Amino acid sequence: MTIHIPSRILGFGLAGLLAASLGAAPAARTSKHAARGVTCVQCHGKSGKPAAVPFRQCQGCHDPADLAARTTQAKPTNPHQNRHYGTQTDCTRCHHEHKASENLCLPCHTRFTFKVP
Amino acid sequence: MSDEPREEGQGPDAYTRRVLEQGLSRRSFLGRAAGGAAAVGLFGMGASPALAAAVKEPKAEGFATSTDGGATLTFLPKPKPIRDREISETLTFDVVVVGAGASGVPAALSAAEHGAKVAVVQKAPFALSQGNTGSGIDLAASEKAGVEALVARLIADSNHRCDPKLIRQWAYHSGEAVRWVIDRAKQGGATVVDQGSPAQRAILKVNGYSMGYVTSFFGPKPYTTGDGMRALAKTAEKAGVKFFFQMPAVQLVQGRSGEVQGVIARGHDGKYRKFLAKKGVILATGDYQNNRAMSDYFIPDVKHLERKQMDRTGDGFALAYWAGGVFEPIGHTKMLHDFDAGPASMCDMPFLAVDRKGRRFVNETVEMSLLNNYLKDAENAGHYSQVFDADYMTQAATWPGKLVPPDGLKNYMPDEPGPKKGVFESQVNTHKAGTLEELARKLEVDPATLVATVRRYNEVVASGKDSDFGKPASFLAPILKAPFYGIHRRVRVSAICSGMLVDEHHQALNADGKPIKGLFLVGNLGGGFYGGVDYPLTVFGLSLGRCYTFGYLTGRHVARL
Repeated sequence: MTIHIPSRILGFGLAGLLAASLGAAPAARTSKHAARGVTCVQCHGKSGKPAAVPFRQCQGCHDPADLAARTTQAKPTNPHQNRHYGTQTDCTRCHHEHKASENLCLPCHTRFTFKVP
Repeated sequence: MSDEPREEGQGPDAYTRRVLEQGLSRRSFLGRAAGGAAAVGLFGMGASPALAAAVKEPKAEGFATSTDGGATLTFLPKPKPIRDREISETLTFDVVVVGAGASGVPAALSAAEHGAKVAVVQKAPFALSQGNTGSGIDLAASEKAGVEALVARLIADSNHRCDPKLIRQWAYHSGEAVRWVIDRAKQGGATVVDQGSPAQRAILKVNGYSMGYVTSFFGPKPYTTGDGMRALAKTAEKAGVKFFFQMPAVQLVQGRSGEVQGVIARGHDGKYRKFLAKKGVILATGDYQNNRAMSDYFIPDVKHLERKQMDRTGDGFALAYWAGGVFEPIGHTKMLHDFDAGPASMCDMPFLAVDRKGRRFVNETVEMSLLNNYLKDAENAGHYSQVFDADYMTQAATWPGKLVPPDGLKNYMPDEPGPKKGVFESQVNTHKAGTLEELARKLEVDPATLVATVRRYNEVVASGKDSDFGKPASFLAPILKAPFYGIHRRVRVSAICSGMLVDEHHQALNADGKPIKGLFLVGNLGGGFYGGVDYPLTVFGLSLGRCYTFGYLTGRHVARL
């Protein structure tokens, strides 16, 4: 049978979990950007809650087309110029600051074994 | 020839009645939430606080869980309307198309050619599509009885759960539409040819009646229909269509009586733009395979199967649902292939097939497009391998399909050096080895298991009767002589091809079966064209052919409103 659960119950539970995990995490985070003097609000904004960083925010400092031009020799393919997004792959699909980066290509292209900084 | 409807003025047809009764709409969901909660109370199963709360909160519209309790619908809550003061810019067109794919780009161009001022808002940075072949019927080269015989075949392929009037509409308009796409894409610089009837060898006669086909081919790989649609978009721009890229649609604009008046999209700059549509909004946003909650709810079969596409999050499904649209009932149709690991022409050849461990698992006359049904557990996850030996060119010479000789197979072998032609290099996965153990390692199956499987298979072959799986004796060939070959295929979700309820104008219907003014759905978002467990491969390129055709017809229809 189908069971229907109101959103506020699940929502409440999720919020509780998040609060718990945030509370347990250390306040200071490691970050390559921080090491170069970039402050939290420069990426995350001033709203108080650390929002996900939108692609346009990265582009304030990093030009994706420039980056793609600099990685044309990457083997086996240039990850910054691809069939799916051209040069417009959202940086945060691979590159993370506060957790390990990931290789977005790999699940489908099993031989695209890039090391993602 | 025409496809005039045979039933007039008799209310909804059988297909539409079923979707209205069993499909999922916002109204039916709210109704069922109340009924379901009441039933829980009645049968004394509401012991948990959550269920008790559900009884008290029949209007809960946040989440619904699937019948197995595992999937949760998170797309259901209708968002608060974005207010006018949050809108940075308002633009007015006759027709607004959401999604620049194999249905959206043709819809936009077709509307523009019929005099409409057209905008396309697209989530990605450019037009996107997949695959190479899109097909239609060449009516001038076909007997009417043949067209109807093919219609009947396609309805049967869909286990008689599709909407016959939409199949017939494809049958009688696809030749014209596919030819139009070829012509207009060429104008935009596309590499495209009409492969015609020779590409459809198995259906040149249907029930003894003669048929002819228009078979558009954007290729060979790595060139695909994606490149083709980008070329078609150039033609559309010349015809006056305005494209807005990196601009995902987030809400529809609706009037007081629910009529759809436009689309609100969020630009790359994070600002909302309102696109008003005087004649109609055409949603062509594709399927929802990358929306985990929607997939688990409507098609749990693909839970453990890998996805071929990215960002197919079912945006148009949510938009149409919020506007009152109706999802086709649970148990959607899926399309899973692997034409890339080895030659496509050998994918249905009944060589020994082994699962991810190395065990034989099926009567290999089952086509590749259906094998996902045997491999949908987490361990196999769509992986299997075809295995054959040095004598395959002679032993399989008379089997259905087309053999590629050893030299040609090198083109599909990642271990072979040199550039490859007509393939996605990153997806080829064909192997050759001097021993079965070495082959097993290359195919990523257990060597001892594969050796045991082949030993048993050879016993079956020697006996002349497949006492394990019943495969015809003519398809039993021993695996004895090195080099041994294997093609490691992994079938992944190319598309989910069930959608939301539409009428013959591709206008969305609400839970009363009434058209939603101003809202049209095409491509994989449109329902009614399939209905079976799997996408049928009777007509190669049916999927793209249907996308082109319904985009072409709907663009014209909305432009003329």
